[in-house]
Amino acid sequence: MEVSFGKEVRQLRLGGGETLHGEGILAITKALLQSGVAYVGGYQGAPVSHLLDVMVQAADYMAELGVHVEACSNEASAAAMLGASIHYPLRGAVTWKSVVGTNVAADALSNLASPGVMGGALIIVGEDYGEGASVIQERSHAFAMKSSLLLLDPRPQLPNMVRMVEQGFALSEACNTPAILQLRVRACHVRGSFECRDNVPPAVSRKALLAEPARFDYEKLAHPPATFRQEKLKTEQRLPAARRYIVEQGLNEIFAGRRSVASDDVGIIVQGGLHNTLVRALQQFDLADAFGAAEFPILALNVTYPLVPEQIADFCRGKRAVLVVEEGQPEYIEQEIATTLRRQDLGTAIHGKDLLQMAGEYTVEVVAAGLVKFLARHAADLPLAAAQDWLTANAARRQAVAAQLAAPLPPRPPQFCTGCPERPVFSALKLAQANVGPVHVAADIGCHSFATFEPFGFGHTILGYGMSLASRAGVSPMLGRRALAVMGDGGFWHNGLLTGVESALFNKTDAVLLIMKNGYTAATGTQEIISTPDEEQKAGAPDKRLSLVDRNQTIERTLTGLGVTWLRTVPSYEVDAMRRTLEEAFTTDAGGLKVIVAEGECQLERQRRVKPWLASLLKAGQRVVRVKYGVDDDVCSGDHSCIRLSGCPTLTLKDSDDPLKVDPVATVIEGCVGCGLCGENAHAATLCPSFYRVEVVQNPGFGERLLAAVRRGVIDWMQPA
Amino acid sequence: MNRRQPITILIAALGGEGGGVLAEWLVEIATRAGHPAQATSIPGVAQRTGATTYYVEIHPQTRVELGGRTPVLSLAPVPGCVDLMVASELLEAVRAIQNGFVSPERTALLASSQRTLTTFEKLAPGDGRFDSERLLQVAAANSRQLATFDVAAAAREAGTVPSAVLCGAIAGSGVLPFARAAFEDVIRTSGRGVEASLRGFALGFERCTAAVSVGPTSVGQGVDGVVEVDGGLKSALQHPDLIAQGHARVVEFQDAAYGELYRQRVERLRAAEQLADPQGRHGAELAREGARFLALWMAFDDVIRVADLKSRASRFARVRAEAGAAAGDLLRIADHFKPGVTELAGLLPPSTGRRLLAWESRRRRAGKAPLGIALKLRADSISGFLALRLLAGLRPLRRRGQRYAEEQALIERWLAAVEQAAARDWQAGFELALCARLVKGYGATNERAKDNLRHIVEHLAHKDAADIGRARTAALADEAGSGLDQVLLQTGAPQRAVKPVPVRWFKRQASRP
Repeated sequence: MEVSFGKEVRQLRLGGGETLHGEGILAITKALLQSGVAYVGGYQGAPVSHLLDVMVQAADYMAELGVHVEACSNEASAAAMLGASIHYPLRGAVTWKSVVGTNVAADALSNLASPGVMGGALIIVGEDYGEGASVIQERSHAFAMKSSLLLLDPRPQLPNMVRMVEQGFALSEACNTPAILQLRVRACHVRGSFECRDNVPPAVSRKALLAEPARFDYEKLAHPPATFRQEKLKTEQRLPAARRYIVEQGLNEIFAGRRSVASDDVGIIVQGGLHNTLVRALQQFDLADAFGAAEFPILALNVTYPLVPEQIADFCRGKRAVLVVEEGQPEYIEQEIATTLRRQDLGTAIHGKDLLQMAGEYTVEVVAAGLVKFLARHAADLPLAAAQDWLTANAARRQAVAAQLAAPLPPRPPQFCTGCPERPVFSALKLAQANVGPVHVAADIGCHSFATFEPFGFGHTILGYGMSLASRAGVSPMLGRRALAVMGDGGFWHNGLLTGVESALFNKTDAVLLIMKNGYTAATGTQEIISTPDEEQKAGAPDKRLSLVDRNQTIERTLTGLGVTWLRTVPSYEVDAMRRTLEEAFTTDAGGLKVIVAEGECQLERQRRVKPWLASLLKAGQRVVRVKYGVDDDVCSGDHSCIRLSGCPTLTLKDSDDPLKVDPVATVIEGCVGCGLCGENAHAATLCPSFYRVEVVQNPGFGERLLAAVRRGVIDWMQPA
Repeated sequence: MNRRQPITILIAALGGEGGGVLAEWLVEIATRAGHPAQATSIPGVAQRTGATTYYVEIHPQTRVELGGRTPVLSLAPVPGCVDLMVASELLEAVRAIQNGFVSPERTALLASSQRTLTTFEKLAPGDGRFDSERLLQVAAANSRQLATFDVAAAAREAGTVPSAVLCGAIAGSGVLPFARAAFEDVIRTSGRGVEASLRGFALGFERCTAAVSVGPTSVGQGVDGVVEVDGGLKSALQHPDLIAQGHARVVEFQDAAYGELYRQRVERLRAAEQLADPQGRHGAELAREGARFLALWMAFDDVIRVADLKSRASRFARVRAEAGAAAGDLLRIADHFKPGVTELAGLLPPSTGRRLLAWESRRRRAGKAPLGIALKLRADSISGFLALRLLAGLRPLRRRGQRYAEEQALIERWLAAVEQAAARDWQAGFELALCARLVKGYGATNERAKDNLRHIVEHLAHKDAADIGRARTAALADEAGSGLDQVLLQTGAPQRAVKPVPVRWFKRQASRP
């Protein structure tokens, strides 16, 4: 795993009255323990990876409490895990990145929601929407509506987020319905503090086992005819019970306005998660103070599904107009509020997406722009000039800066790390395509998707995690040249093995699959998978710099077991061998599925063990060889073709020292891990001979010092200046 | 400072620079001082060296002063409402400015003067780097106060990460109401690498204080009136002795006779310029810039030249310094060579060389891989060094080789075209002279570059100076040449020849019925 959570794990043990300082996602994790959770599962993905990572690293403490933690193979398996709460009084929590993870989990979620739960079931989803999002922009809200799941969207202050976890379990149990708690990216990473309560060891746990399984109960099966009754139960009993609980426990918060609540007043209904943004937007008008007290009332929905019609009607009654601040589209909440008011025959005007932007993140600026329109129409007596001026100034400033810059700023997307084993594979693919012609590349989710950026620009489609091979099934038969599917080992185990490999083999289709075997789900924080090399192998490796992924053959054995016959394993840094293998796969007469395994361990993981190892050797005065690449700047002609084949962060440009040369020359800066790609590319692509590999031997032995002295003596004697 | 509004700090950093730790420190400093504080981030993008931001809000009143009331803090920065903008890299500072976060009335800007080039800027065969001077001007013109210094260099000096230096700079900026000791206390209790962090902090504090007192006047002028100066011309003004340098380069490359040939060619450029611009209104720029690229071209990089450069004592010293080797460390240098048929043919007499090249090109057309021997030569071993010196010693053979003949022929063609164009219009001659900048690179890259130059010389030499200039700029901007193709289309010149690619056949097997 990429990050060590020692401090966070210690904080999980904090008792009642102590204060936890940390990120939102850690607070949520602690809240699970305070709620007596019995089992936790999930699949990693930003912004919620840390929940599971912390839990996995806290294995000892979890065992102490009797809590079971499972790193599931995908979101579907995590959602299915919640099935434990159908029959048993077990509180369970699972987590994943949404909307993608919820899509994968949808089948199990539907089958969970229909029979409903006895123990509280909580799904913590990272709502990856807006700035920093890495997935398609959709709302998880739709899943709550279609499956009648509860949806919590807590106001992003740590004490409230913790309360919503605790209440989420209770609410789930009060209405026998699983609950989703959604956290936006910034809420997961908000750093604050809250006062802890004691952790509650679960009543039934790994330490306190149930003697017998539950009795057979057909009504708890998502199977006809029980499903027909279950659908009625949802609307007739569970959702009404949820609404009662929401009102009784005051889960939604009403912040009274500073203005007297006169009959002609206005109000705002906001998703809990957007409350802070709304307050800051109101502050731009001077309509709210630092503590969130606004000029008019605000209803903050910590529970966004189901809504409570009576609560909505009570809030709107007597108001001339209400603005619904709801992020994303379509505007489910606004539509439901409009229906509620119409049914109750209330004349309050409802605004939302007509004044606020339909799609995209609701930033302070976006919300303020909507507020200007809303207030101008319904509360013209309020001062709007300050906010209007501010909005105008922002736009003018951006325009002025763009003019001053004269050219657009170059973007800086994420890229392969220094020394990443996947970069050389795409160098090879670039070279192979120069020889056999361009191929259709079905891309996938994972670090290798960075090949869609410069300098590679590979990938025609991304259809989901592990979907690349499946997504070319309709393309390959229609193309004269073979198509390539790229998949990581993470995607392979997540579902690529079945949706792609099994399907291609069964259909005997002609396909080329390239598997990046780096040993981890690297993009999400190098979590371990079934094909990760063992800890003992890492500890026992005499040279810790070497890639160890070849020690685990699970992928290869699985493929041959399924019937793959054309299988090549190529060390990923061997660019020329990889180029040749790719060309062979594209042009061989062999039909069927051809699989190339690019073997090279994630460089982040390698460096995690290399750095302390080298430091310890140096400390002990032992011999250490450090490798770095370099460029002879007098040989470099400044054409940068090496960079167009690599894109390594440490291979960059500098001004030439040569007064005759106008263009900058290539240079290798500090941070080079000596992966060897520069040399491999120089050979495979017949690049210029300006690259050199230098090995610095620290604490050299007597023999090699002697040899070096002899060499130096001879060379010095003949060497020109 | 407004006692009701939070103090806001936006930090722009790249993945792996410790921005998260910095935000954590700031929250900790504020918390210890009794102020409510909050930090958020979007680390999803920081993943793997992308650009990202961290945002911190600190309430100006202490919890005691607040008497139990909790301020609502924003999770995201608000355009124009940032008190302190910190950037570990210059372009990222300007990105935040472009996004509207920095206000000239409110924001103190603290930006590293150093550039970490984006991949996009590194790709161009020419110089695709964004003008740093312009970035600095924009930074100065759009902030209340600007302090810049090289944060990465300070971090290296202190043996720590940029976050520690930035923390010192934040303390030094005076925007936060906390004493220096409060910052240092938090770093001291943070655990790992404390000594190095404190050293970095001290450097950051010192350099920021110095930078603030100097003020941004040196770069703050003339954003509107920036004159477009080509990088090459700028350095030309600094190096008026280019012709002498060029001559020295060519003599060093071959011999005095070759140097004489260089002089003659420069003379031709001079004469052409004299005719085109008798009053010297252009300051002999054509001859000077032509001489620059002519020298680089005449001293083309062949095996002999590379072997010579790689076996010099000055090169060994440079490698040692770049590798950061200490006094007692041993160095092993391995050079990557892949001599192929082209390199061999280049040394053979033109007729033999050309036959060899034709043979190789037939092989390539048949879909075979180019012949070449991948060598990793240990320049520091006696045998490797001798091999390099032996190759360097082939210098006398060079003038009789095919490569030499080919380069001279193209040089003559270019030179004649420059003369003709200059006779018509100085500017056209000048633009065409600058086109020699295209010639660089090795192997296929060098071939492509020369093809482009040949195409321009053949089909654009008689066109407007502006067209020639645009074609050159386009050819230097992308290697694939799609920009150049567009310019050719616009000027009505013929398109470049399509490179033949071997067609490969394979049997397609039926899928499951």
